[in-house]
Amino acid sequence: MTDATAAVPAARKVPAWAEGPISVVFALVVSILGGALIILMVGENPVNVFGTLLRGAFGTPERVAGSLLQATPIITCGVAACIALRAGLFNIGVEGQLYVGAFAAAWIGFGFQLPPVLHAVVGLAAGMVAGALWISIPAIMRARYNANEVVSTILMNYVAVLLTSYLTIVVFKRPGGWSETEPVAATAHLMRLIDGSRVNIGLLIGLVAAVGLHLFLTRSSAGYSVSAMGSNPKFAEYGGVRVKRNIVLVLLASGAVGGLAGGVETLGVHHRFMEGFAPGFGFDGVIAALLANGHPLGVVVVALFFGALRAGSLLMEVETSARREIITVIPAFLILCVSAQFLFRRRGGVSGERRWRF
Amino acid sequence: MEILSTIFTVSLVAATLRTTTPILLVALGGSFTTKAGIFNIGLEGQMLVAAFFAVLGSLWSGSAWVGLLCGIGAAVTMAMIFSLLVVTLRATEGGRGRPPNSRPGGRTIALTTASFGVRGSIGNPGIVGLPRLQVPFIHGTRPWGQMLSGYTPLIYAAIVLVFVVWAIQYRTRLGLYIRVTGEKPEAAESLGIRTTRMQHIASVLCGVFAGLAGSHLSLGYITMFAENMSAGRGFMAVAVLIFSNGDPFKVFFGCLLFGFADAVALRLQTVGMSSYLVLMVPYLVSLLALFALSWRQRDKVYRTMRRTLTASPRGT
Repeated sequence: MTDATAAVPAARKVPAWAEGPISVVFALVVSILGGALIILMVGENPVNVFGTLLRGAFGTPERVAGSLLQATPIITCGVAACIALRAGLFNIGVEGQLYVGAFAAAWIGFGFQLPPVLHAVVGLAAGMVAGALWISIPAIMRARYNANEVVSTILMNYVAVLLTSYLTIVVFKRPGGWSETEPVAATAHLMRLIDGSRVNIGLLIGLVAAVGLHLFLTRSSAGYSVSAMGSNPKFAEYGGVRVKRNIVLVLLASGAVGGLAGGVETLGVHHRFMEGFAPGFGFDGVIAALLANGHPLGVVVVALFFGALRAGSLLMEVETSARREIITVIPAFLILCVSAQFLFRRRGGVSGERRWRF
Repeated sequence: MEILSTIFTVSLVAATLRTTTPILLVALGGSFTTKAGIFNIGLEGQMLVAAFFAVLGSLWSGSAWVGLLCGIGAAVTMAMIFSLLVVTLRATEGGRGRPPNSRPGGRTIALTTASFGVRGSIGNPGIVGLPRLQVPFIHGTRPWGQMLSGYTPLIYAAIVLVFVVWAIQYRTRLGLYIRVTGEKPEAAESLGIRTTRMQHIASVLCGVFAGLAGSHLSLGYITMFAENMSAGRGFMAVAVLIFSNGDPFKVFFGCLLFGFADAVALRLQTVGMSSYLVLMVPYLVSLLALFALSWRQRDKVYRTMRRTLTASPRGT
């Protein structure tokens, strides 16, 4: 009803398919300019800082590997957030699922003895189960009683961090007062891809997950029903989609992938669970999913960008007086730009709605 | 022994007051948006941004009060973005039969929490904290002075503001309009109240309070900014608001409960008990509150359904 009365569509200068990428590039330019402004305010030379950032991210093969290492958990977390986003749900608890998944995988790693490959597989599976269990209560409450999943999954994040800290420091205490668990048995380690770097097979797992999700959403009828649910739940229900069941399944899948990201981190990178080991990977994944507008392959691109930012900011902190935290304003600006575009794109619809009502 | 126990309770009261204040301030702000019918998920982000900019303002100017103003300004800006997204967009979303808030709420939450979960910390001796007030006559006296004196002004302000918020909501025209907007938007519109404007106003008011709360965290509670220092208090406030339906006095008691839980957790930490499980309590309580409310709402739907189902045979 709104479309019929909406304002006459503006003359299209760019083809529809190019709109998404163009807006992302626009957002990127604006946020880099914004970042430059902040760097100027701190009293540093932006060209210098961004140059160092680039060298830190891509300067040498080792640094490229470092960027990939940082991007790995963001890709997987982004895929996790994507699953929910496409169904119109919002799993902002990826961070918490990452923590419990990481702990579960580490526990399998140091607590059990299994043959080499099987051990890693069981560890990752345990991580997935833990992640899925962690979101199960919010998922069920969302599906059956419509409890807001944003608030509940966020609150679960805090509980997850505290619970894993408790398990690490009190229950599985390691002599010597370390805030980490015992090291994971070598049989559970994930295969490393590059010599001298901690980049591991987890990167491939993340990429496969992204491609798999893309194929699932575009090529299967179940994937179509999920997308339909996301764009219009009532219509989907009318069309025979079992919305409540799907809400639970989608959130469980999202949580499982979040847990997988944590398992990859402990089994592939750190080889133990450390308190506070993952600084904001889950949140970065959620942002990546939002920026990519729920497109799994776009998530990979954004996550690689975020990984490069993280890796590059390490060198930037060493070589310039700018602090690493400054770089976090770039994702912040990105989110602002994308939200603003979202707002302006919808404005025609708003005025159409008003005209219809009055 | 007896003296020990009194000191224990006195300092516990003091700690409770200190931990209650930030969540109380932010929840009071949220009471405006709750009354105006907005499910305000941006509280946490507004508080965090305020804490950040309050520290920056204090560093740059050397004055805690300028820092406070910076914090409020930042929170109000965030609140305006929030209301732009949620209020302005909801008009279209509602029209298309989508659950209100789902998409713009999601965007906003990402905007506030995730992106402005400003990493790292700012700890600098140049940060000027808010002064501590010494209440005349009772300052320095044993039980009462210890309990009621020597806090930063915002702690006293928070308690006074409970009454102020109540007065605004129930004794002014603006408050009435805001409440009508939330309870019966159709009635409000038919009376010529512009509901979107009321929601924007409520949102901005909420931003002011969230700014106070955030500034209190970084300039009053401790004088530094730390990553994620609001620690989910904004979401606890959401839980309190759900329970209290935004009534200022109920909000006050709900927040006291959370503040008490926080204070007990801190105390147990000093006693040497593992604090992790205790620290979980406020989050778990918030979760339970959220789930209980949705459960109750389901019950209401069922009850009305049952009533309509059973009423007709009895009527005929």
